[in-house]
Amino acid sequence: MTAARSYPTIPPVIESPRSAPNRPRRTRTNTELYAWLFMRVSGIVLVVLVLGHLFIMNILDGGVQRINWGFVAGRWASPFWQVWDLLMLWLAMIHGTNGLRVIINDYTRRDGTRLTLKAVLYTATTITIALGTLVIFTFNPDMGS
Amino acid sequence: MTAVAERPAETRAEAPIETRPVRVKIRRYVPELNPEPYWQTFEVHALPTDRVLNLLLDIKGYQDGSLTFRRSCAHGVCGSDAMRINGVNRLACKVLVKDMPDEITIEPIKGLPLEKDLVVDMEPFFEAYRSIKPFLITYGQPPTREHIQSQADRERFDDTTKCILCAACTTSCPVYWTDGQYFGPAAIVNAHRFIFDSRDEGTEERLEILNDREGVWRCRTTFNCTEACPRGIEVTQAIAEVKKALLYRRV
Amino acid sequence: MPAVKRHSYDVIIVGAGGAGMRAALESSARVRTAVLTKLYPTRSHTGAAQGGMCAALANVEEDNWEWHTFDTVKGGDYLVDQDAAEVMCKEAIDAVLDLEKMGLPFNRTPEGRIDQRRFGGHTRNHGEAAVRRSCFAADRTGHMILQTLYQNCVKQGVEFFNEFYVLDLVLSEGRAAGAVAYELASGDIHVFEAKAVVLATGGFGKVFKTTSNAHTLTGDGMGIVWRKGLPLEDMEFFQFHPTGLAGLGILLSEAARGEGGILRNAVGERFMERYAPTIKDLAPRDIVARSMANEVREGRGAGPNKDYVLLDLTHLPREQIDAKLPDITEFARTYLGVEPYTEPVPVYPTAHYAMGGVPTNIRAEVLRNNTDVVPGLYAAGEVACVSVHGSNRLGTNSLLDINVFGRRGGIAAAEYAGVATKAPVPPGVESQVVATVQRLLESTGGDRVAEIRSALQNTMDMNAQVYRTEESLKQAEEDILALKARYVNVAVTDKGKRFNSDLLEAIELGFLLDLAEVLVIGARARNESRGGHFREDHPNRDDTNFMRHTMAYRNEDGSITLDYKPVVQTRYQPMERKY
Repeated sequence: MTAARSYPTIPPVIESPRSAPNRPRRTRTNTELYAWLFMRVSGIVLVVLVLGHLFIMNILDGGVQRINWGFVAGRWASPFWQVWDLLMLWLAMIHGTNGLRVIINDYTRRDGTRLTLKAVLYTATTITIALGTLVIFTFNPDMGS
Repeated sequence: MTAVAERPAETRAEAPIETRPVRVKIRRYVPELNPEPYWQTFEVHALPTDRVLNLLLDIKGYQDGSLTFRRSCAHGVCGSDAMRINGVNRLACKVLVKDMPDEITIEPIKGLPLEKDLVVDMEPFFEAYRSIKPFLITYGQPPTREHIQSQADRERFDDTTKCILCAACTTSCPVYWTDGQYFGPAAIVNAHRFIFDSRDEGTEERLEILNDREGVWRCRTTFNCTEACPRGIEVTQAIAEVKKALLYRRV
Repeated sequence: MPAVKRHSYDVIIVGAGGAGMRAALESSARVRTAVLTKLYPTRSHTGAAQGGMCAALANVEEDNWEWHTFDTVKGGDYLVDQDAAEVMCKEAIDAVLDLEKMGLPFNRTPEGRIDQRRFGGHTRNHGEAAVRRSCFAADRTGHMILQTLYQNCVKQGVEFFNEFYVLDLVLSEGRAAGAVAYELASGDIHVFEAKAVVLATGGFGKVFKTTSNAHTLTGDGMGIVWRKGLPLEDMEFFQFHPTGLAGLGILLSEAARGEGGILRNAVGERFMERYAPTIKDLAPRDIVARSMANEVREGRGAGPNKDYVLLDLTHLPREQIDAKLPDITEFARTYLGVEPYTEPVPVYPTAHYAMGGVPTNIRAEVLRNNTDVVPGLYAAGEVACVSVHGSNRLGTNSLLDINVFGRRGGIAAAEYAGVATKAPVPPGVESQVVATVQRLLESTGGDRVAEIRSALQNTMDMNAQVYRTEESLKQAEEDILALKARYVNVAVTDKGKRFNSDLLEAIELGFLLDLAEVLVIGARARNESRGGHFREDHPNRDDTNFMRHTMAYRNEDGSITLDYKPVVQTRYQPMERKY
């Protein structure tokens, strides 16, 4: 079976002229345009942010061995690295979420499934972004010492 | 020797040119007799000049008259006989049998309701086409003679005027397979033909329609449509140009 | 028994090619109109036309419609009704401009106006030299016309019944009253009541084996009218287009020669110089086709079997080929594996266009005899015989014909429907169609549609093609009669209702057999050679006896009576036809 979906059942009589499917009312917003544009722009920014991040963490100055509580504390003492990491968190999360949203739109056939999947996706995204943001801004170097 | 298919089987056998046996495996669907689609294989002797459509005509003429498919001009300009041939969308009248392996698999195009054998309901496809306003929109007084259009302006949309509405592109699109409400490549190509026509004044309206959730932004640039187009239209390119026009609000 | 459904409109148009849709644009703007087509509108064979549409726009050089009229009359070997040709050539200019305003993307001159090129038989000042008159969109002018007309039908919200095959015409009190159609998708019968009916069903090229025509061109409209006892005019005149791809019949536009292409025989000679010294390769189609066939008969054909000649484009710049002839060069590459940049393309004449058809006057009204019309019945395009093409149509004049007379037919039908009362439709008008369908479905015969059709096409190619003789035509007639006898027991293997194309082909074959017979009988009676009809046993034009249209009538018993109709001559007296 190669067809991507089962063929619809055929009504006993085809009314003439045959009717067309209902297309949803047009939205008249630029949401999809902005989403599309965001994916391109955030993708480019993320290349810089993520590659920079990986370089700093894994290669520079002896690489991953030097990373410890103190290293993180030192970095996040500077607002520059706070903004870097915050940007990376938000862009990566929204980029990934939008990607999954597109996949859900493309591949789910029933409205119910689509709604459920998107609810799970958006909840997970919101929690992750909120937690991450909280950590970046409320990180206390003295915590636990 | 001619490649006209309607000839008695005996002359085909006696033909001085060497024929080649080909197995044609066709996905049949006859809802009046059997609610499920099934595969059926026919053996045909193909001439070197035969196209896949000739094989189908030969099967219908001399083996099984109930085999159903659409065909008209038989040389790739009417767009009746788009079908999936060995897994890719093609016009049966444009595929030469000599370029094919000994077994040819033929299925109906995907994503449109199946009616019988290789015949699908084209109405959803044409509905998408009609909804992008595929006609010249002008306001104000028409010119007394013709509109003036430079050769460069005419060239700008030449590629997309070639479309024959065969649906090969739209039914090769993975997004369209799962979401029949997506306008699909063919509708966007025909919108492109007017958006980039210097005489047209409906660009805004058309761009607005394609800015929709089911519009150009659903295109995933898989290039299936460009690959499938029997007229050689750069379909994905055309879609990208419409996206760009939307982005900059300028054509 | 199939279900029967009823509809009521002011005007119904049968066929959605160029003529049908042009008529629909006019008619639907005025009265309630439906278009019935056995295909989808964009599949119609207008889309296969390539070269252009002539009109004396004079955009690139001096020209006027009177010269165009003269060329049309001379091209048709003086069998053209000159009043109709005048109307067509005069209205051609507006027809082209209308299409441009509807959105047709014509090629442009450097100044941005509609570009024009040379075409066979179109000359300046009554034959002095070839003139640039053909307006075109690359080599897909027909495609663009079909698309543009469909686009405007969408704009105007024209009501289409796609894949509805009209099988019978309803005539009541001597007037048109509607049509009976078979819906392919469901197998239902539909009765369309209407005040006026426009036939635009195209030609019947499928009577021949080697043809540029689509599989769907089976002369249904002519066949229906014929079976109603109405006449058919000039059916013996069939055009053979010189440049079909050898062996396949796929059309390569005359535009190839308009752009400078040259026909050569096996020894490389430009043989048209001998047959038409002035305009050479751009002589009218009948002359070129016969010249080609003659080269082959005299042993100067090219190829292993010496059975074709060569169309040479190799001296043209590649940019010109790409810009002006992209589609036809692709046909040569796809279907024959020939590269037109570097190799000449094998070509041979292919059956192309029926000059004859349902007789009409210049208002597109169908004639029941030489003078009287059938009120409410109209015809336009290849199905009709106005006669603007006479015995040989000039290239591009068919696209003109459909636009000019399609428009006229649409307006006339709508105006008639606006004032006429509906003719009563008697109950049971569909019974004959229902019976035909039932009979075919229940047929137990063993003769396959494909076998009979193939035999018909073979005998027509063999005996009634470019060269005809009394003997060959007699043979064709005998063959057709034998095939008609076999057709009574034709087999239909598909017994279903849904998309029964097997049934459809059987019905179409019936029309083909009828029309082939009319063609052959008309050709046998015309003991002269004129335009597309060439009799080897009567090689000269005979104006004394045959300067007249053939009118064929079907008798009750199925036999055929031939009558004649005078040719309308206004400005031009017949002269010898030299190019």
